[in-house]
Amino acid sequence: MEKIVQQFRDIHPLMRKNEVWRNVDFTSLLTDDLVLSQGERQTADYHCQIPDLEAIRFVVENGYYHQQSAQLPNGVIVSALRKAGDADAYFSRCAPKPNPYLQCNADNYSDGLYLSIPANTHIEKPIQLQSVINAGHGLFLQVRNLVVVGPHSHVTIIHCDDSYDQAPSFSNNVTEIYLHEGASVEFYKMQNINNASGLLNHTYVAMEHDARFRSVAITLNGGHIRNHTEIRMLGEHCDVQAHGLYLNDQEQRVDNYVFVEHAFPNCVSRELFKGILDDTAQGSFNGHVLVSEGAIKTEAYQSNKNILLTDKAFINTKPFLEIYNDDVKCSHGSTIGQLDEQALFYIRSRGISERTAKTLLLYAFCDEVLQQIMLQPLREKLVDLVKKRLHGELTPCAECSLHCSSPCNGPEADFHIDPSKL
Amino acid sequence: MSLLSIRNLHASIGDKEILKGVNLEINLGEVHSIMGPNGNGKSTLAGIIAGNSKFTVTEGEIIFKGKNILDMPVDVRAAEGIFLGFQYPVEIPGVSITNFMRTAVNEQRKYRGLDPLTGAQFMRLMEEKKKVVEMTTNLANRSVNEGFSGGEKKKNEIFQMAMLDPTLAILDETDSGLDIDALRIVASGVNKLRRPDNATIVITHYQRLLDYIVPDFVHVLYEGRIVKTGPKELALELESKGYEWIKEELESAK
Repeated sequence: MEKIVQQFRDIHPLMRKNEVWRNVDFTSLLTDDLVLSQGERQTADYHCQIPDLEAIRFVVENGYYHQQSAQLPNGVIVSALRKAGDADAYFSRCAPKPNPYLQCNADNYSDGLYLSIPANTHIEKPIQLQSVINAGHGLFLQVRNLVVVGPHSHVTIIHCDDSYDQAPSFSNNVTEIYLHEGASVEFYKMQNINNASGLLNHTYVAMEHDARFRSVAITLNGGHIRNHTEIRMLGEHCDVQAHGLYLNDQEQRVDNYVFVEHAFPNCVSRELFKGILDDTAQGSFNGHVLVSEGAIKTEAYQSNKNILLTDKAFINTKPFLEIYNDDVKCSHGSTIGQLDEQALFYIRSRGISERTAKTLLLYAFCDEVLQQIMLQPLREKLVDLVKKRLHGELTPCAECSLHCSSPCNGPEADFHIDPSKL
Repeated sequence: MSLLSIRNLHASIGDKEILKGVNLEINLGEVHSIMGPNGNGKSTLAGIIAGNSKFTVTEGEIIFKGKNILDMPVDVRAAEGIFLGFQYPVEIPGVSITNFMRTAVNEQRKYRGLDPLTGAQFMRLMEEKKKVVEMTTNLANRSVNEGFSGGEKKKNEIFQMAMLDPTLAILDETDSGLDIDALRIVASGVNKLRRPDNATIVITHYQRLLDYIVPDFVHVLYEGRIVKTGPKELALELESKGYEWIKEELESAK
C-alpha cells in the first residue's frame, strides 16, 4: 500500500473519541489498489453541455490542474495552486483548527485551482471547476483549491466532482474560500462519482463583515461521500445559506457535516438539507451552529428532512444549536418519513399511476433545495438530472459518468415536471 | 343499465362501521345530491367510490359502467371516469398545476389507448378549461393548492374536473368555505360541465348550493344508510325543518 494511503488509513483509529469524526470510517475503500496520482492525462474532452450555461471552465484531472487561458477581468489571478504556493497568505487561513485529514491534504496535496479576485470585481460568467477522475486504475487523490474574493467582489463557482471510469478511487479534497468585506459567493457543488469511490470533501469558508455566501451541494451518486463544511463569520451582517440534496441508493453512504460559527452580531445563517435514501443506503446529517456570547441579533435556521424508501435505508440526523446569548432567533428540526399518504391519494385520484405519483412527490420533495440554485441554466439541468435519478436512468456508465454532458437519450419519462418545457 | 350501482355497501374505518348498507342507483344525465348531518358517512361514501384505501369495504358491491370497481386501484377508477372533488384539497408544494394536470390527462389518455397531448394542445385545453371557473391566474408557476384560498382550492377542483372530463363526478362539500361569489362561480362551472352523457353526485350540508346546481334526486344519508330519497324539493324541506323530523320518522317506523 502507498505510504500516504496507509497514513491516511491510520487516522481513523485516532479519531474514535472525536464526536465529529468518530463514525467516519473509510477503511474499506482504502485498498491496496489505490496508487498516488501521477497526473495521468487522457485525451478525453471534458465538455460540459449544460444548455445555455456560459461558464469559464477549468479542469483538474486526476488531481492536477490543466493550464488554461480564460478571459477574466483585470487583476483576477487564476493558476495552479502549486504555483501560487503554500506561501500564499490565505493558505490554510479558513481552517484555524486543522484535523488530521485536513493536515494530510495540506502536507501532500497534488494541485488544484487558485483563484484570486481583486476588490470591486463582479465576475459575470460562472467559473466552473471540473474535478475529474479518469485514470483507468485505482487512484488516491488530494486536490486543494483556494479562492480569495476581494472586498465587494462577486463570483459564482460550479464545482463538479465526477468519475469518468469505474475504477475505485479515494479523494481527500479541500476547498478554501475567503470572502473579504462585502464579497459574495455562490458555490454550487455537484457530486457524481462511481460506487467504488470515496470522497472526503472539506469546504472551509471564512467571511469578513457584510459578506454573503450561498452554497448548494447536490450529491447524485457515490460510494461514500462526506461533505465536511465549516463556515466562519468573522464580522457583522454576514449572510450564509448552506443547502444540500442527496439521493443515494444501493450500498452508498453520504454524510453531511456543517459547522457554522456566529461570532459577531447581526448575522444570518440558513441550512436546508434534504435527502432520499433507497435500498440499504446510509446517510447522516450533523449540523452544528455555534452562536457566541457577543453574537446578538443572530438568526440561525437549520433543517434536515429525509425520506427513506426502504426499511433498510438508514439516516442519522443531528441538528444542533449551541447558543451563548439570549438575543437570537434560531430554530432547528429534522424529519424522517415516508411519502404523504394523503397527497399520494390526491394525485392518484386524478388517474396518475402509483409509480408516477410517487416519483412526482419525490421530485417535489427535492424541488425545495433545487430552487435555492440561483443560476437558472444550472438549476434546469439539475432538475433534469434529479428527475433522471428518480427514474433510475442515472447510473454511472463506462463511457461517461459526467451526466452533465450526456444528452437525454433514455426512455421518455412518464411525466414532465419542468414547466418550461411545455 | 345504470352508470353507477351501489348495492348493500358496508364499510368501516378501523373497527368502526360507518356505512351500513347503502343502496344507490345513478344514471347518465342525472345529478344526485346526498345530504345529511355530519359524521353519518357522506364523505366516507365519496372516498370509497373513488378508491380511498383508508376505508375497508366489508360487504356489498359498487358497479360502475358494468364493472365491479372495488378491486380497482384509485388511479384506474379515475381513468375509467370517476372524479372526486375533495372537501379538503391537498397542498403539494413543488408540483406545478400545469405538470400535475398534464401528467394526469396523458396517463388517462394512455389508459384509453389515445396518444398523449402535445405541449401546445395541452396548453390550449388548459386555457379553455380555465374559463369554466373564471380562472385568471397563471398556473404554470404555481404549485398544486399551495397557498390557495379556500375559494381558489375549490375552483381548482372544478378546473381539474373540467380538464379530466369524467363520466361521474363526486363533489364532496364543494360549497364549504366558499363566499357567495365563489359559490356562484363553482356552481356555474359544474353546470357548464353537465351533459346527457355524464352524471354528478353533489354532497352538501346546505340547500344553498342546490339553488345553483339543481339536483334530480336528493338522498338523505343518516347513520350509514340512505334513509330518504326525494325530488329537489326535499332539500328545501330539510333546510326549513332540519334533520330532526327524519330521525323522528325513523324512530316511529321502528
